[in-house]
Amino acid sequence: MTTVKNIIETKNLNKFFHDPVEFQALKGVNVSVKQGEFAAIVGASGSGKSTLLYVLSTLDTDYTGNIYFDGDNLSLQSKDQLAAIRNEKIGFVFQFHYLLPEFTVLENVAMPAIKLGRYSQEQIDDLAMEKLKMLGLEDQAYKRANKLSGGQQQRVAIARALINDPKIIMGDEPTGNLDSKNSEIVFDILKELKEKYNQSILIVTHDMNFANKTDRIITLRDGEVQNQ
Amino acid sequence: MSILQSPIIKISLRHLFAKKRQTIVAMLGVMFGIAVFIFQAGLMSGFQMTFIEQTVNTTANIRLYNEANKNRPSILSQIDSLKGRLLFVRNQKPKDEQPKIRNGKQIIDILEKDKNVSGVSPFLGSQAIFKMGIAQMSGRVSGVDIVKENILFNVQKNNTHGNILKLQTIPNGIILGEGLADMLGAKMGDNINVISPAGVTLEMKVVGINRSGITEVDKTRAYINLRNAQKLLRVDGSYITDINIKLKDINVAGDLAEDYNEKFGYKALDWREANANIFGIFKIQNMITYLVIISILIVSGFGIFNILMMIIYEKMPDIAILKAVGYKDRDIVKIFLTESLLIGIVGGLLGLLLGFTMQQVVGSIKMDVKGFVSMEYLRFNSSPLFFIFAYVFALIVTAIAGYIPARKASKIDAIDIIRSK
Repeated sequence: MTTVKNIIETKNLNKFFHDPVEFQALKGVNVSVKQGEFAAIVGASGSGKSTLLYVLSTLDTDYTGNIYFDGDNLSLQSKDQLAAIRNEKIGFVFQFHYLLPEFTVLENVAMPAIKLGRYSQEQIDDLAMEKLKMLGLEDQAYKRANKLSGGQQQRVAIARALINDPKIIMGDEPTGNLDSKNSEIVFDILKELKEKYNQSILIVTHDMNFANKTDRIITLRDGEVQNQ
Repeated sequence: MSILQSPIIKISLRHLFAKKRQTIVAMLGVMFGIAVFIFQAGLMSGFQMTFIEQTVNTTANIRLYNEANKNRPSILSQIDSLKGRLLFVRNQKPKDEQPKIRNGKQIIDILEKDKNVSGVSPFLGSQAIFKMGIAQMSGRVSGVDIVKENILFNVQKNNTHGNILKLQTIPNGIILGEGLADMLGAKMGDNINVISPAGVTLEMKVVGINRSGITEVDKTRAYINLRNAQKLLRVDGSYITDINIKLKDINVAGDLAEDYNEKFGYKALDWREANANIFGIFKIQNMITYLVIISILIVSGFGIFNILMMIIYEKMPDIAILKAVGYKDRDIVKIFLTESLLIGIVGGLLGLLLGFTMQQVVGSIKMDVKGFVSMEYLRFNSSPLFFIFAYVFALIVTAIAGYIPARKASKIDAIDIIRSK
């Protein structure tokens, strides 16, 4: 087996909720995702799968143990450093699209790139257009985000996740709000990203149909990893 | 990247435009706060300036006089051997002494050479009763050298009828205050009788009518020649009670008054001290004005606070996604702080404009106020200081009103929002 490096890797990850009662959501979790791997986290509700994703995503910093992401130990980073890591290296797709309704589709896609500040406004617009084209949305670019259908909005959200060429795309039930046809489309897009661009992807889902088509399934049960 | 391209300003502007009505209401709050401040502060300060000018024009910068008949220590207390004992002198009367300035002429000569002094005028004042036919009024005669008096108090400028020099050329001339002339029914050229406490009656001819602008003064004062005043009081030709001094710089009045007091041995009262009670009133007036305005601006601050809280509650998902895609807490603070500052900057500018317009419009309406002072138009002090103060204060209030919700927004936990959907 060739040595493919881990994009993200956890060591003995524990997470407690204190409110309303003391509850251990993650119990000594050790998982990893390799470069170019399309992995899915599954489990019953309450199994801790979303909790794990948010800890991995750097949004949730209230945990013990270590997370290594692209060579950095996340537990040692400041809040602002984590924000910069999210901006540059992680693309998010949530169950709900979270597009800013006052902005056009193109502006929404460009939002993380403007924050990154690596390119000029024109370059960013070109980049965003390119991502929209990839997702078949170029003719929607100048529409207001809230004028699009649910499936289109989710694709815009994927374009936004891709804009900074992230190391990994993390999704929390990205097809949870979509009908089967649109779910299919979203899955195909993710699959294509993996195959064409060697994109690492980690998706939380309870849709086994979706999960079975990925490279690897990580199953969580009561905060513990069952198999991976 | 131009400033309008910055996502923070862009997001702020879109939020405000999406909530046009609330944004306008919040701006109106700031605008009215500032406009009212500028209007009211300008009015108060304009009134005070008018009043100060008029009183400064009618009170001497420094008035030198003999503080006779004041309470004096009893003679017993000045005996050394009685020190420390309980002394009691009942019903002690003031010393019988004329309130006269001795060597008045010499003091005037010295003062006229003083480099701080631009004018010196001798003065002899007395109570008097003015009679014309059966009309009679009590008032005060001011015995003056009218040319010198004019240097100090601009008598000619305030004369509505007649020339002040008539007081020198017509031996029994008198210049009446406007209110006094009205109440006597006296016109130019009429003869009136002036009766002094000393029992002397002089028949005098009205050669001028004067309006100083301070109603109380115009109702009681009449100018006559110094010599006639001395006649009325049956005193000799060197007798004067006051020396009024005009200074080149009125701000040194207090220090010079102390000097003169020591030098000449007479009480020297500067204009500030003479009008201390009025300045006291002004201070309270200003305090009330500022309090009212500050409360208006604080209320508009609450308005801004309110609209921002509304926007933030509505925009929680937006805040959450911005944080998820890498916007830092301080970026979020900046977004909402920018929103409140935009409200403050625009509302404030409109307020400055409205306040200025209100000053101009109201200041151009003829009012003919007659009260404490009389003026034809309301006068506004349009000092840039008020405008700057109002604007800066408004910006501070909006910044505080914006910062609190902005901070709250930056502390929103993105996961809570995203997971609760």
